[in-house]
Amino acid sequence: MKINKNLQPISISIIVFVGILFITTINACAPTKAIAAKSGVQLWSENCQRCHNTPSPSTFSPEIWETVGMHMQTRALITENERDKIVDFLKSAR
Amino acid sequence: MKFKIQNSSYGFLLLFLLGTIIQLRAQDQKSTVDSSLLERINYLEQQMNYHKSGDDHFMVVGLANFGFSSNKTTNTLNGISTTSKKSNLGDIDQFEFSPMFLWRHEKKYLMEFEPTFSQNGLGVSWADISYFAAPNVIIRAGYLVLPFGTYSKKQAAGWINKFATDPIGIADMPTSDYGVEVEGGLPLGDMKMNYDLALSNGLQLGNDGTVTSGYLVDNNTNKTITGRLGLLPFSNSSLEIGVSGMFGKVGTEGTSFHNVNGNMYAFDFNYVKTYVPFLVNFKSQYNIEDISNADYTTADEWATNYTFKNHSTSSFTQCSIRPTGIQALHDFELAARYSTYNTPSNSTWGSDQSAFAIGLNYWLSWRSVIKFTYEKYNGNSTGSEVLNAFTGITKSNTLYLQFSIQL
Repeated sequence: MKINKNLQPISISIIVFVGILFITTINACAPTKAIAAKSGVQLWSENCQRCHNTPSPSTFSPEIWETVGMHMQTRALITENERDKIVDFLKSAR
Repeated sequence: MKFKIQNSSYGFLLLFLLGTIIQLRAQDQKSTVDSSLLERINYLEQQMNYHKSGDDHFMVVGLANFGFSSNKTTNTLNGISTTSKKSNLGDIDQFEFSPMFLWRHEKKYLMEFEPTFSQNGLGVSWADISYFAAPNVIIRAGYLVLPFGTYSKKQAAGWINKFATDPIGIADMPTSDYGVEVEGGLPLGDMKMNYDLALSNGLQLGNDGTVTSGYLVDNNTNKTITGRLGLLPFSNSSLEIGVSGMFGKVGTEGTSFHNVNGNMYAFDFNYVKTYVPFLVNFKSQYNIEDISNADYTTADEWATNYTFKNHSTSSFTQCSIRPTGIQALHDFELAARYSTYNTPSNSTWGSDQSAFAIGLNYWLSWRSVIKFTYEKYNGNSTGSEVLNAFTGITKSNTLYLQFSIQL
């Protein structure tokens, strides 16, 4: 991907602008009150089974659930809020 | 009278002394109890500190598949049929042992590494580091699973896949590559969406028109962009639909292929919902692979020049039903899948293939399963007859018995 030297400052400006726009858009996204009020157990039952069986909370220790939660966020692309609630549920229901 | 008064004084004094002694003893016992309780609490606090999680964490999980397959294949070419029978312990296509190493550095970084031992020897599925930059922004770099469709990234693991085999074609598409990636999930009112965008070295075109990925050294200065957008329109996340694209130059710089581009598209569908007493699971993906026209030369002594329209498609549609609400049957699952794979006609590897698989699974736990899969395959060669690449019609029937576990 070759870029003309004269166009480099413009290209960098566009990338920075798109980046700022991207971050702003992401931060502007919000759930409704009903969605935000969902509990960890509800999110666990809804989201895990999209790919595999719902995991038993007793499978791992709380420390391991933290790490598994981060790994699953990268795979299932659940939101961070959903991840935190699911992990809290798995840690507390052991 | 005097004697009586003296006696009662002694009595009162005696009672006072006795009371004082009892009180002192009680205080002494109380302080003994208090100090013993404090010691116990201190000990428990110490024990808690010993077992308290650190900021960092390292763990090993992984998966393993092992089984048996029995196959009968008939090939018909120029009116002559040949039949072969095979049976393999190790379930030759799907034997796999893949430990997965996860390092968590506080709550911002995660390193993931999955080496794989299979029929192809030792390999690496992925090796990358993720930075959790903002609430719904994850930045990753390394050897990545490309965000093209969902099968490779989410459904291919043996303990997740409902069948002992991968759908034909889908698993043959390029999966991992070296690059950087940004991804995340976003709330959208009652809905959700997710995005995944990767910049990688890209696919490389072979001398016969096939493409492969996963090269540390790029064959040109162009980088390949791969992206997927997913939408979950229902508030219960039961449905996800996604569209993916992969665009980049695939030809090697300095060769006659230097201007050859690859444009690929994928559409995926995933619906999982409980209709009491059944859990219904429906998944589908359709891939399109377009490589721009190029002139190829056979590798044999004749060095024949030829060209063809380099267009491939692959797809699968599957449905599984598990009676989770029926106590006697809730560990069983029935599944069916239809898959297709069409590669370019008049090439040396052209064919129209289809496969139908039916399976009965028994879940030993939420992450271990015994799978019986029966698969019927049809392949009609569309390879160039001029280049002696026409291989006729191939039909096969295969029975698999496989054990898959996530550890």
